[in-house]
Amino acid sequence: MIQFGFAAVFPVVSMVLSDVIAPRRVFPARRERHAPATKRGHIGRQMHDPTRNSAVFDAAKLIVAIAERQDRAAFGALFDFYAPRLKTFLMRRGATAELAEDLAQEALLAIWRKARSFDPARATASAWIFAITRNLRIDEARRGVKAQAVDFFDLIAPEEIAQPDAIVSAADSEARVRHAMKSLPDDQLDVVRLSFFEGRAHGSIADALQIPVGTVKSRLRLAMNKLRDLLSELS
Amino acid sequence: MSARRHPSDAALASYAGGTLDEARRLVVAAHLAICAQCRVAVSAFEATGGVILDDLEPTPLRQGARGAILEKLAAPFAHEPRPGNDEFAGPLAAYELGPWRWLGRGISWRRVDIPEAGNMRAFMLKAAPGTRLPHHKHQGAEWTCVLQGAYRHDDGIYGPADFDEADETIEHRPVVEAGDECICLVALEGQIALQGWVGRLLQPLIRF
Repeated sequence: MIQFGFAAVFPVVSMVLSDVIAPRRVFPARRERHAPATKRGHIGRQMHDPTRNSAVFDAAKLIVAIAERQDRAAFGALFDFYAPRLKTFLMRRGATAELAEDLAQEALLAIWRKARSFDPARATASAWIFAITRNLRIDEARRGVKAQAVDFFDLIAPEEIAQPDAIVSAADSEARVRHAMKSLPDDQLDVVRLSFFEGRAHGSIADALQIPVGTVKSRLRLAMNKLRDLLSELS
Repeated sequence: MSARRHPSDAALASYAGGTLDEARRLVVAAHLAICAQCRVAVSAFEATGGVILDDLEPTPLRQGARGAILEKLAAPFAHEPRPGNDEFAGPLAAYELGPWRWLGRGISWRRVDIPEAGNMRAFMLKAAPGTRLPHHKHQGAEWTCVLQGAYRHDDGIYGPADFDEADETIEHRPVVEAGDECICLVALEGQIALQGWVGRLLQPLIRF
């Protein structure tokens, strides 16, 4: 308890704590991506992020620490990295700043509660956190219509367990996904993000990027073909 | 049972990204429940979502947010009861279904209650072998997952677990194959303009 009051006041110290708990692991792809970031200057593309350098951590390890021993310091470290990014993500999905923050908090609470269902062999930490938040956002959007919570993303969890030799380790697959995405030209990656992950219509993407709708469609097609090829190697 | 016809990558990516409307999400989920290959693709797109998330610029939180959440960690949490039906396992289990209603020669349908408001609706369609499904044009997307049996149209045969993604440019006239009754789960956008006598019988369906 004491260490958390402390951590709230001195986030830098809490970063250090989290590093003690979870030794740093720098994703190679992320480091490469980070370097030329200032040249990219795309919508939403990272320009400068001090926490990126100081808190590149092994999120999977932190989630496992929560699952195994309800590790509050691990939770604090996840919170510091993800809550502000989830807020950004949810605002891009059309939530007000206030709702986005409430949902980001709910997502972090869900991470705390569901940590035991996280399986590093089946999903990367960021994918798991992304999926939890996505589902919360979906439930929130439905809430106004009818009180019903359907976690059908959970309902379709694959019943069969992959053979050990068929499992690509999560770290490996994350690196591969990063590599796949890094190999996409920025203009293609932008349309993928805006279309599939922010849910914007082709026309709205065309306006935002000041390109014709036909170009949006062709970039999407090219990007999907490439992603498909690259990601199919994961399976 | 393994599917031979799958949702497009764009459909799977939108599903993984959480940007599909609920009706289409349900139809894709029905396919995923059966198709391991597409589940792998969805996992890959979720991983892509994770990478996009990691690379987002952080937005500062309200003051005291961190302390507030840490205090909540110990609190017990309640499970909300889930509504649904007992007939289906998988994604459909979570939905209230209407009764089967007769529509005409060999065809019946039932409502699938989609809480999300919008222009997309979902329903199940059941047709006897040899039935010619109503000739129709649609104003937008019509996504279908075959749950049982098979039908055939210009693009070939669609059997169990197969996924059929049509839009306003496509005008099909499916015929149910011999064998089992064909049962499909359908997400449909907007109004459909039905033609012929079956169309007139089906028309009430689009007003539910």
